[in-house]
Amino acid sequence: MKNVMSNKTVIALYVLPALFLVLFLIYIPMILTGYYGLMKWDGVGEMKFIGLDNYIKLVQDKLFWESTWHSILLGLFSVLSLIGYLIVSLVLASKIKGANIFRKIYIIPMLLSSVAIAQLWIKIFDPMNGLINSFLTSIGVENVPLWLADPEIALYAIFIPIVWQYAGFYIIIIYAALVNVPEELIEAARIDGANAFQIAYKIKVPLISGVLKVLVILAIVGSLKYFDLIYVMTGGGPGHATEVMASYMYKEAFGKYNFGYGSAIGFGLLVISMVATWTIQKLMKTKEDN
Amino acid sequence: MNPNELTTKSTKLTPKTGYTSLLKKIGMVILYLVLIVVALVQLYPLIWLFQLSLKTNQEVFGMSPFALPQDPQWDNYIDAWTTGGINNYFLNSVWYTIVAVILTLILGSFVTFAVTRMEWKLKGFVLALFMAAYMIPLHSTLIPLFNIFNKVNLIDNPLSIIISYTTFNLPITIMILLGFYQSLPREIEEAAVMDGCSVHRIFFQITIPMTAPVLSTTAIINMIYNWNEFVFVNTFISSEKWKTITVGVNNFVGQYLTDWGAIGATLVISILPILLVYLFLSDRIIEGLAAGSVKG
Amino acid sequence: MSKKKALSIITLFVLIIGLVLSGCSSSNESNGGKKSGDGKIHLKFMHDWPQGSSSAYFNLVKEIIKDYEAENKDVVIDVEVLNPDQYRDKIKVLAASNELPDVGLTWSNGFAEPYAKGGQFAPLDDIIKKDFQDQFVPGTVESYSFDGKSYALPMEMNITYVFYNKEIFKKYNLEEPKTFADLKKIGETLSKNGIIPATVGSKDGWPASMWFMYLADRIGGPTILTDVIQGKVKMTDPDIVKAAEEIQNLVDSGFFVKGNTAFSNDDAKGYFLNEQAAMFLTATWELPNFTTSPDTSQEFKDKVGYFKFPIVEGGKGTDSNSYVGGPGLGAFVAEKSQHKDQAKDFAAYLVKEWGKRSVESAGILPATKVNTEGLDVHPMYIDVLNDINNATNVTTWFDTQATPNVSELHHDLITALYGKQVTPEEFAKQHDNALAEEAAEK
Repeated sequence: MKNVMSNKTVIALYVLPALFLVLFLIYIPMILTGYYGLMKWDGVGEMKFIGLDNYIKLVQDKLFWESTWHSILLGLFSVLSLIGYLIVSLVLASKIKGANIFRKIYIIPMLLSSVAIAQLWIKIFDPMNGLINSFLTSIGVENVPLWLADPEIALYAIFIPIVWQYAGFYIIIIYAALVNVPEELIEAARIDGANAFQIAYKIKVPLISGVLKVLVILAIVGSLKYFDLIYVMTGGGPGHATEVMASYMYKEAFGKYNFGYGSAIGFGLLVISMVATWTIQKLMKTKEDN
Repeated sequence: MNPNELTTKSTKLTPKTGYTSLLKKIGMVILYLVLIVVALVQLYPLIWLFQLSLKTNQEVFGMSPFALPQDPQWDNYIDAWTTGGINNYFLNSVWYTIVAVILTLILGSFVTFAVTRMEWKLKGFVLALFMAAYMIPLHSTLIPLFNIFNKVNLIDNPLSIIISYTTFNLPITIMILLGFYQSLPREIEEAAVMDGCSVHRIFFQITIPMTAPVLSTTAIINMIYNWNEFVFVNTFISSEKWKTITVGVNNFVGQYLTDWGAIGATLVISILPILLVYLFLSDRIIEGLAAGSVKG
Repeated sequence: MSKKKALSIITLFVLIIGLVLSGCSSSNESNGGKKSGDGKIHLKFMHDWPQGSSSAYFNLVKEIIKDYEAENKDVVIDVEVLNPDQYRDKIKVLAASNELPDVGLTWSNGFAEPYAKGGQFAPLDDIIKKDFQDQFVPGTVESYSFDGKSYALPMEMNITYVFYNKEIFKKYNLEEPKTFADLKKIGETLSKNGIIPATVGSKDGWPASMWFMYLADRIGGPTILTDVIQGKVKMTDPDIVKAAEEIQNLVDSGFFVKGNTAFSNDDAKGYFLNEQAAMFLTATWELPNFTTSPDTSQEFKDKVGYFKFPIVEGGKGTDSNSYVGGPGLGAFVAEKSQHKDQAKDFAAYLVKEWGKRSVESAGILPATKVNTEGLDVHPMYIDVLNDINNATNVTTWFDTQATPNVSELHHDLITALYGKQVTPEEFAKQHDNALAEEAAEK
């Protein structure tokens, strides 16, 4: 066993192509991001080395930490929504009639590009003509919420389309994991008198825990660097109420021509993502040990 | 959820009285009602998009955004096809997507196999490298990547797009595959090793078929990402002949005017192929499993 | 992985990083325009008028290029078109790699400054002197001039009006306001009757800022915001704070559409187009939409009128012929172009032809002077062109004049001002801080 499965040539053959691509196209930009963070650079003219100034400014930048907090909140919401997706997937993977059609339909929103999703939700949230407020007005609510225009609720309002956009992504993965659970185990449990809930909770979920853990990490890291709908729907506003790390970085680097500082934000985002991933992995490990 | 609660519930349910079966029926009805409502919600965006595609710009602004089009503008589709240039972009989108998805799946499977099934010292570190690669924000990569591609003369070359798609999808693909490989039984592979199979044979004839469901899943995810991507295309490609269908959408966005009807039409045209492929691949998720278990 | 392999990977990696780094800082060679197999000069030209959304612009450019190629048989223009947002991003990435197209478009003032000062744009004073003596609307070329050199040929000139729905005004017996008090009264009458007085997209910042700029002009005098940029006046000047206060008064009185801090300019325009809102302060680039565009119904077009921003009683700006506006896009030539002379020649041709044809064929107001006599266009154009000729002052948009840094901040603060997340004093103070910080760096 050992000999075949530790063949160096094979390992190199399998790993190196992908590793090369990732090192050159992702790690070089990563390192350069950290490097540009040391510069005062508008991205157009001459670069000037300014040491750690940008990073010191970053640590003291209230707006950066605010946007970090918003990103973390998005991460928490995404992780919580995983529970919902798990339940949906369990239902879809159980052998109820029509599950196949439901599954196919549920994943459809994921096929849409962000352009469409953003436009749809802007119309849903529109304070006057929008779907929600038209409904609220028709049932007699007078002070309708302004949704994306209200700094108090804009952040939570915009989480809804984001979480919804990714529902298909998570459901399809959890579903694939669930259908991978060996039928014999479920049969055996059923013979032992377990009902559907017990089978789900005691057999299916533990068996796909590896996949679920990966999804937790994907949800958190994906949220920390999330950009698309926020940029299109609110641009981080009103007044930074929905600013997240990636939108803040983009505005500094591409909007304000502070490419150096924007890179420092990008590097900060990377560090925060790594710390978060490491922490989650540790947390999930200890749980397993107990 | 409390497991004890579940047990008590189940003991209540076991005796088959008329009362409990009625409860069960009501439960099923509620379940289906919920399922159907959710299904309608999930289907609505497609319907909305379709009616958007048939509106004039004045209707888009003027009427309720959820009203039906008054006088369906089928011209929007002609507009999208010709003015939007979709006819040029369509094939590019198709082959960039296909090639990148295949490359990502193969390379990703190789890595995941090597990391979960083979024995070597640095595997933990290499895996961490791939996972950390997922964390880079897109906009940090544009200027360095442009430079790299420029140095190797790949600007305005479809290779730059395919390579970027493949590379940037590798981390997430590997992570998804990883979860599955870990829960996959090793017995079959071990038996194959005993029989003197080569690693390549094990990989191609046992592991790949066994992971077909998750491969279909990641294929779907990769495909959607690639199909809808436009930042890389806009940055690395300048010739019309190499651009993709998402550029067609953006052709209708202007500084002072955006043609939403035509955007809707472009989006409808562009979603159809992936919808069809998705429906096809979606069935493979289950079939793949069947094939895998037969071999097992 | 063997040590040797690991080592070789690392070496290669370091090498490539070095290569890329050196590329960003010192590479000066450009492949902007290369002579390719056909033996012709290929000029790269980028613009941001996609056919789908700006067909009039797109077609006009295409026509001019065709004519140029016909007159210059050995030149081929390779065109790349992106939408404005993507265009901005791409220009940025290209400049960072010293790969700007031979000819392209740039916004004025703050946008152009880093490129001009960073040595990316070529000075064009020679062709301005040679081909465009007294051709441009006064003040437009200056918007692209830095340290005494001019870096672009202006192509657009827009001024800002309050466009309004004549039918709604008639229904409630309203007349075009002469003073700001009149305007506020109109607002009251309209909101009492359930009509939104004015629509504005303050999510984007810039459309909402026009109200602020006009109020600052009328209260503090036509030059006050330009003086702020030049450091002669502080943003915390009582007149400017007063202007910001008036904005919030308007917000409080329900003058603007509800929820406008979530509206882009496009979203906001929708309320004017669907006649839920009576007024829309915007620039003359909308003229085709209100006069000739097939996308809007004739019925609606007939209802659209415009008036000049009214005078504020007791304010220092007493002339309603003072406008907020400015040049939009201008054509630049890349300093690092390999065919700089040819590129300059093309840019000059483009802008000249553009000036001749744009009003009649595309409904665009060029930055070159237009003779209104015998012009075959919608009467609104004649009025506007005459207004431009009679303008006593055109203050370039504050956010255009400011550096990108201050401009972005200004947009954020404008949104916050409309959303009442900042007080007028904080609004002014934060501008001052940013301006002071920039002044200190220079």
